[in-house]
Amino acid sequence: MAAPMELSCWGGDWGLPSLHPESLIVMAYAKFSGAPLTVNTINNTWRAPQGDVPLLTSEDIVISQPAKILNFLRKQKYNADYELSAKEGADTLAYIALLEEKLLPALLHTFWVEAENYCSVTKPWFASRIAFPLSLYLPGKMSREALNRILLTRGKPPLYSLTEVEAQIYRDAKECLNLLSKRLGTSQFFFGDMPTTLDAFVFGFLAPIYKVCFPRVQLQEHLKQLPNLCRFCDDILTCYFRLSVSGHSPSEQDTADANLQKLTQLVNKESNLIEKMDDNLRKSPQHPPRKLTTLKLAAGGEESSTLNRLSP
Amino acid sequence: AAEPWPENAALYQQLKEEQILLSDNASSLAVQAFLQMCNLPVRVVCRANAEYMSPSGKVPFIHVGNQVVSELGPIVQFVKAKGHSLSDGLDEVQKAEMKAYMELVNNMLLTAELYLQWCDDVTVEEITHPRYGSPYPWPLNRILSYQKQWEVRRKMKAIGWAGKTPKQVLEDVDQCCQALSQRLGTQPYFFNKQPTELDALVFGHLFTILTTELITDELSEKVKNYSNLTAFCRRIEQQYFEGHGTDSSASAAARPPMRSLLR
Repeated sequence: MAAPMELSCWGGDWGLPSLHPESLIVMAYAKFSGAPLTVNTINNTWRAPQGDVPLLTSEDIVISQPAKILNFLRKQKYNADYELSAKEGADTLAYIALLEEKLLPALLHTFWVEAENYCSVTKPWFASRIAFPLSLYLPGKMSREALNRILLTRGKPPLYSLTEVEAQIYRDAKECLNLLSKRLGTSQFFFGDMPTTLDAFVFGFLAPIYKVCFPRVQLQEHLKQLPNLCRFCDDILTCYFRLSVSGHSPSEQDTADANLQKLTQLVNKESNLIEKMDDNLRKSPQHPPRKLTTLKLAAGGEESSTLNRLSP
Repeated sequence: AAEPWPENAALYQQLKEEQILLSDNASSLAVQAFLQMCNLPVRVVCRANAEYMSPSGKVPFIHVGNQVVSELGPIVQFVKAKGHSLSDGLDEVQKAEMKAYMELVNNMLLTAELYLQWCDDVTVEEITHPRYGSPYPWPLNRILSYQKQWEVRRKMKAIGWAGKTPKQVLEDVDQCCQALSQRLGTQPYFFNKQPTELDALVFGHLFTILTTELITDELSEKVKNYSNLTAFCRRIEQQYFEGHGTDSSASAAARPPMRSLLR
């Protein structure tokens, strides 16, 4: 038995144990692996977060990032990945990289950069949980860091303008959600019946998108059309966090497939439209006359003719 | 698809012997491998200002007909629009996996390469600065390489890699290689019989790491620990690069990959 472990993280709302994706990841993993963690949510005290949140303290050891915290828990024999094969372990790493590259920028944008969301929801919520006078400074700093991260990883030097990348990051995020939905299929968790690290990461990233009520919610609307991912989040919330969730009717496999097809169509159409706009704006040499071609879809027999895209 | 692939398609990268860096060489080799796998001829043109010519600021980029496309992702889509695709035979779940693994390589291997090139002071002084600015006269060479270094360090800080030590970065590389090795297993390619863009990307990075001389051998040692990865690189090199006598550094003999002196 290890020494008692304490986790400080942001608190929750809208039916979630925490609003912060990284805190959620750690909390979910602790529940999956049965690690006894006492969770201290940061509230309006003077012990405001100094650096990274979530923070795990165990006796004298203080660990900060989710990956390191999970490593530490595994060393303490709280391992949720015990039954995974080597290939599944490799898949876990790959899917986590996919989440961080494709989904995280849009998540950060929805929470911290989108002006309406930030001013009406995120800033007041976080400010109410940080002690004065840090509450005047910290939310702004977190917002600037989020913007920085999006621009530096996705923007183009040297001007790094946000408008160029906004459309792209949401498109990537929707594609990522589609891919996750396809990978999950009808099983309860990503690797069979027991939740693992990957489930913790996916839950940590998806649950805030799913539950938090923002004024500008394009990502949430997209997610709600993927019933297996919604069911995944709700299952984890009810089983592991024992929070009541308003039930929604289970959907048939056919409608799920039809929805997924429609979504793939939507994303394709959107990307065509956006690329068309980009192309018009960019000064281009004479293009050869474009032939209209049909855009075939995966399993459906529908065809729609759109202009075929030839430039990035 | 619109027009067929023209004969004079060109791929632009920086100067091979004196200027190009590890990460750019890896990206360029990945695109070359991908185009070879699709059987699309392309000639490699080396220009000192390739980075500035590129529409997105990153090398390599290809000039096909009157279109310019840069980076592997958009190039794959462009080639697909022309009617050539390597991943059509995969089902949806496999496609999701392929995309996930490509992100893993970009997220870990590429970032590690950038870190070692630009954030490790010894490497920066001895290798990166001299190489990066070599086509330009003083003081432009120093200014350009400091500017690039500042940009890369900003990015590292934003994604949380600034606090890592080189040893931790090498451990991440090891973890990534372990994942790739486990996924590859004993198969010839990642999705059994046919190579896909994932194979091209992994080949580009691993081959470059194996054949580039840095200050220490630690990076290439990490890759060499996994014999199926080195065999994979050799297999792709023999199959797609040897018969053409191309000028890429991939035209080494069938012996263990020769160290091309990238100094």
